[in-house]
Amino acid sequence: MNARQVEKFVMSYLEATGCSIIEKSKGGVTVRLSPEADKRLTNRPYYWGFVERTGTPPETLTFHWQFAQEDAADEADAGAPANGGQQAAGSAVGSAPAQPAPFGAPPVRVLREELYFGSGRLAQIFGAVYDGGRCVAMFEEPPRGRASADRLGSNPYTAWLGVNFKVDYECDMKREEIYGWGISLATGYIDERFLDGLRDRKLTPRLPSNIHLLPNGLSLKKAMTQLEHALERKLKGGDFVWASEAEERRQDELQRIRAYYEPMIGRAVTEEEKAALTQRLAQRESEIDWQYRPRVTLSVMNCGLFHLPGIH
Amino acid sequence: MPAAGAGAPAQPDEVRPPGLSSSADATQNAVGATRAPAARKLHPLVDLHIDRSAFEELERRADRGGPWDDWTLYKMSWEAEEAQLVTDFHELQCMRVLPGLTPLPHQEDTARRVLHEMRGRAILADEVGLGKTIEAGLILKEYIVRGLVRRTLILVPASLVLQWVRELNAKFGIPAIAQKKAYHWNNDIVVASIDTAKRDPHRELLLDAEYDMLIIDEAHKLKNKKTGNYQFVSDIRKKYCLLLTATPVQNDMNELYNLITLLKPGQLGGEGDFSANYVAGKRIAKNEDKLQAALGQVMIRNRRSDGGVEFTRRFVANVPLTLSPEEQALYEAVTRYVRENATVEGVDMSSMLSLVTLQREVCSSRDAVFLTLVNLFKKTPEDSPRRAKIWELVEFIRQVKANTKAEATMELIREIGDKVIVFTEYRQTQEYLLRFFQEHGLIAVPYRGGMNRGKKDWMMDLFRRRAQVMVATEAGGEGINLQFCHHIINFDLPWNPMRVEQRIGRVHRLGQTEDVKIYNLCTYGTIEEHIVHLLHEKINMFETVIGELDEIVERMEREESLEKRLAKMLIGAKDEGELRAGIDNLGESLLRTKAQVETEGET
Repeated sequence: MNARQVEKFVMSYLEATGCSIIEKSKGGVTVRLSPEADKRLTNRPYYWGFVERTGTPPETLTFHWQFAQEDAADEADAGAPANGGQQAAGSAVGSAPAQPAPFGAPPVRVLREELYFGSGRLAQIFGAVYDGGRCVAMFEEPPRGRASADRLGSNPYTAWLGVNFKVDYECDMKREEIYGWGISLATGYIDERFLDGLRDRKLTPRLPSNIHLLPNGLSLKKAMTQLEHALERKLKGGDFVWASEAEERRQDELQRIRAYYEPMIGRAVTEEEKAALTQRLAQRESEIDWQYRPRVTLSVMNCGLFHLPGIH
Repeated sequence: MPAAGAGAPAQPDEVRPPGLSSSADATQNAVGATRAPAARKLHPLVDLHIDRSAFEELERRADRGGPWDDWTLYKMSWEAEEAQLVTDFHELQCMRVLPGLTPLPHQEDTARRVLHEMRGRAILADEVGLGKTIEAGLILKEYIVRGLVRRTLILVPASLVLQWVRELNAKFGIPAIAQKKAYHWNNDIVVASIDTAKRDPHRELLLDAEYDMLIIDEAHKLKNKKTGNYQFVSDIRKKYCLLLTATPVQNDMNELYNLITLLKPGQLGGEGDFSANYVAGKRIAKNEDKLQAALGQVMIRNRRSDGGVEFTRRFVANVPLTLSPEEQALYEAVTRYVRENATVEGVDMSSMLSLVTLQREVCSSRDAVFLTLVNLFKKTPEDSPRRAKIWELVEFIRQVKANTKAEATMELIREIGDKVIVFTEYRQTQEYLLRFFQEHGLIAVPYRGGMNRGKKDWMMDLFRRRAQVMVATEAGGEGINLQFCHHIINFDLPWNPMRVEQRIGRVHRLGQTEDVKIYNLCTYGTIEEHIVHLLHEKINMFETVIGELDEIVERMEREESLEKRLAKMLIGAKDEGELRAGIDNLGESLLRTKAQVETEGET
């Protein structure tokens, strides 16, 4: 993600969580967090516990996030003092009506941070996004007009299970792939470009009028199994040289430590000594296993039910 | 068998990394087969683990008719995942998340080699000042970014704990914390002192845990495998492991062997094989090429002389000064007093040292010597004739109205017209200088060991932004990086070459873009002249960076500290000539040790 992509991403997050933008400058934003975002990002569980128990109106934090460092240099020089001044005044006058402060209008403290790909704050926002977008149920808005509707004036809709998978290829090193697949619950048809296809559709969480849902031929569980198997077949066709190489390294390492410990175990005089050495060898073996054994993990990042027009 | 998954992160069973809890091949498959859902084979060598927790959540919510998450965030999850995706086994990923860090070529290269050739288990043995911490940070960050490391334990000497925490946080955005309370061990990335960690109740906790990464700084302290520290580190369960040391462990074959065994048992063969194959004597190796090849697989040692790292040059100038008649009189009076009292029978080493200190202090400032005299006076029994003598000395101090050195320093700073750091050994001198500079309209800030971290940082910041001069008593310690300054004035000199090097090292380090100029103030006809002679002319320690200085000094001091030797010489010498000869002698033996260390280092 470059600075502009980070900015776009964060702005979408702020909007999606209902934060109030106080000022948007080029390459930066001053924002008062919504309670939802504040709970997720400011790490103040005690404060929020207090607010919730006592019913006090919450005071969320205000941040200034700077995205672009290069542009910031010239802009910050010119803009920062002005911003600061405006901030102090603005909190009392300009922004006060927007966020009613309980005791008159105390000056708002603005926490300034640089937000870049790799910064802790962005990682935190990523985490908030993962948590806040795990399971959805969406409907496509029915097309305007009745052209495609059947004689009852209702559009037939197919339910799809959309699943975003992440695949980790892991040994002592690691590589990842992601797949945005979907399966029709009516027919079991699998669409490998499902997520891409969703991008152009207009989706809403509310059930639109004038539609009817086709009966599902597959349970969610069956659909999931079919999706998994299809993906597994695809993965099986991949390149496994990395795994053979990792296995070779694992065997090498195992051989090395066995050559080290086994003679010592053989020479051990007492049983205790022997047991201690054997245990140490076992520990080393398991460490090597842990480090090198090639493995693949398939995990569901997030998934959803999608009701789309048409019969598939 | 280790306790299954003790201390391991709570994860759904299917996705637990095949770590220690599943050891041998057979058991793993057997366990896998009975576990539902089973780990399936994706390839004869590769198990497939599946984590469906998000899907199970969907099923639950579908049953209950919600609640449902936000569609925008759903799409953004994909975007975030895509942006962080590690698409390649080899390419260094951490650089794109560290926009503020530009590692030197040898540091990046070291990180790559550790990741790809050494597979995350290595000894980083760069010479001092080449940035081992940066290398370790890069490697750790890379593993974290790739999701291969979460639980990390960093064991360092107590004095370095905070420095590690700060560097990891500031330079690498790695949320490390210093271990202070028991529950801190639960943090993913913990920095602790090894001496704390090995003691109960911590010991138990750590040995029950599994660490994705173990980093040990100053690892040469683990050279003896009979020690508790060695056993402890050896017993910690770890996946990747980095041992950091600046001491050339190659010098002692057994120590080297022990250290490597900690990392990769058997790398140099079994114990017997090692002696037979590689050892000709305690410090002498045989089959050099083979040994080097075997070492090269686990150890990286970058040297300044390898090039690649451009250090600027050092220029040194002695500033000879003649004491004013009053100061000279004081110096001579104190010297007389020292001689008289140090040669009295029954004087122990510590009072001898404190007497010599008096003499050194006179060369620094009257303020320094005054305080020591007052303390000495208080300690002396009331009926002792020495009280009167001490009082006489105080009278001499009263006569001294000006400080020749301070005036010279003032002039020097004006001439330099740039940032200058002035080092002194004495707190009183520091305060005197601060006052003196202030009276003369020079902005100066203090820096000393007793300051807390925040104040130190503040002083450094003031020096960077506002003040022309910093007056420091402490050069060791951590975290003073003053690359923006390249003028050093040694108002007085420590007697230990290491401490001199530490002073210079604050300024002459990676990131310094200018040549560094060092000025030694040196008063004629005093003990100071001898010290400057030893450090500057005999061992030329100011201009050349002596690579293995710590090793040299350590060996020199095996019998007795340099300070003590010098003190004895000073008191024992009958005249100037004898003293000079003694000091020359000491210089020679320093040079011999240096040559010895260097030849061993090359092997």
